[in-house]
Amino acid sequence: MGLLTILKKMKQKEREMRLLMLGLDNAGKTTILKKFNGEDVSTISPTLGFNIQTLEHRGFKLNIWDVGGQKSLRSYWRNYFESTDGLVWVVDSADRLRMEDCRQELSALLLEERLAGATLLVFANKQDLPGALSQEAIREALALEQIKSHHWCIISCSAVTGENLLSGVDWLLDDIAARIFTAD
Amino acid sequence: MRVMIISEVIQDDGFDGAAKMKERLQRRNQTRIEDAERRKEEKESRSVAEEKDEYFSKMFGEQRAAIEELLSGCSGADRAAVSQKLEEATAKTAQLQKFLNDSVLFLTQYELRQSQAALQKLQASLAEAREKALPKKKFAFRARSKAADKVSAPEPAPPAAGSGEVDSAAAAEQSGFSNMDNEFLTKTSEEIQKRDVLLTHLTNCKVRLFGSPSTLHLKHIHGCEVLCGPVSSSVFVDHCSNSTLGFPCQQLRTHNTTDTQVYLHVTSRAIIEDCQGVSFAPFSWSYPNLDQDFSVSGLSRERNNWNQVDDFNWLAAGTPSPNWTVIPEADRKTSWDP
Repeated sequence: MGLLTILKKMKQKEREMRLLMLGLDNAGKTTILKKFNGEDVSTISPTLGFNIQTLEHRGFKLNIWDVGGQKSLRSYWRNYFESTDGLVWVVDSADRLRMEDCRQELSALLLEERLAGATLLVFANKQDLPGALSQEAIREALALEQIKSHHWCIISCSAVTGENLLSGVDWLLDDIAARIFTAD
Repeated sequence: MRVMIISEVIQDDGFDGAAKMKERLQRRNQTRIEDAERRKEEKESRSVAEEKDEYFSKMFGEQRAAIEELLSGCSGADRAAVSQKLEEATAKTAQLQKFLNDSVLFLTQYELRQSQAALQKLQASLAEAREKALPKKKFAFRARSKAADKVSAPEPAPPAAGSGEVDSAAAAEQSGFSNMDNEFLTKTSEEIQKRDVLLTHLTNCKVRLFGSPSTLHLKHIHGCEVLCGPVSSSVFVDHCSNSTLGFPCQQLRTHNTTDTQVYLHVTSRAIIEDCQGVSFAPFSWSYPNLDQDFSVSGLSRERNNWNQVDDFNWLAAGTPSPNWTVIPEADRKTSWDP
């Protein structure tokens, strides 16, 4: 029995996952987190630092880390990379002007060694806005098809209405579970 | 180390050597005692950290009890008192969450989990108390919070709605203005209601947006006066200079902006990043349908944190950021008619 097997067994016992939620500021990361947890989203302030939420979903224990996306905070993102099972990249679909920024930040992130094993879920958020770009347009703008290093999926959602948040997280859980809990 | 001593002993010879060794052993004994002392001290300092643990649970417990008391006092009191209490409880809960976040480093997994659970319970009972005490509040977010309940039940995503939305998004471009000079620009309520509005590359313009957009983006605005009705979510300002802005919103994020006045009504927080010479005053513009648009936006009229601005480039607590100021009352603009 190798060390990896032991580690896998340990994780299996706890059925615990660590999800890291990142994205540019104003993407709606905190709103997604609070909405997913069924909390009031009308009082959310720009995140100065980070929020963590531990919640049970489908028998898994999820530790979700929501780190502020302001430019001055992005250099601290790396402090949260360690032992991340899933990366949730949140995009403000209506922010056409910063799509290029968004693409650059994401591609820099995917080069990160400590995130090498993590599954990537891209949330095309703010689909409730009439000017929001479609999921296909964002897939193209972020050059997602070129990602070969990670399992990835893009799902359009709206944090204010709650639409598709669940299906996104479910996909992420399935992918991670297939990787760490059953693979032998 | 023992090997070293032996080799030293071997090197020494005669009586002189024996005396020297005795002396050396004594010295070693001395350092050993000192080491033990140091270790003891270290242990003591660690127990201070344990006191910090206790301090945390004590503080957490106290705050939690205070919030619970506030909530239990809600039933029976009159509306105004209840809403004030709920307000206070919400603020306290937020504070408690922050306290917990700050304490994460030294908490054990168990404590962290316990505290998280306690906080979640508090938040749930807070939401419940709010629902019970103020069922007829004007919050437009009510409909959305119902949607939140739906989220927890696994519902198959309606595929038709998804694809339909994509089509309508393609047809309905973002509303707004761009690349204009020296113009007076207006939008009516029908043009911007519940939509995302984008203003870019405007110079020396006066802009009036009558209505309640979902969100508002301003980029490359120079020497302009931009006034907008209540924005139901966030306003995002980037590269703005020598301008005057005015709007109510839920959040305001201001980037790379210089010498700009903001007449603001913000229900959560305003932040600035890479800004200089930004000044704030309470929102004072008015137009005939403002009240109606306020209720469309769902923003609270009572809660205005216009003077609580977080500067991401100035995290020193206690000293105010030099990058923003409050506009003195005498210098505030009161008449907005062009």
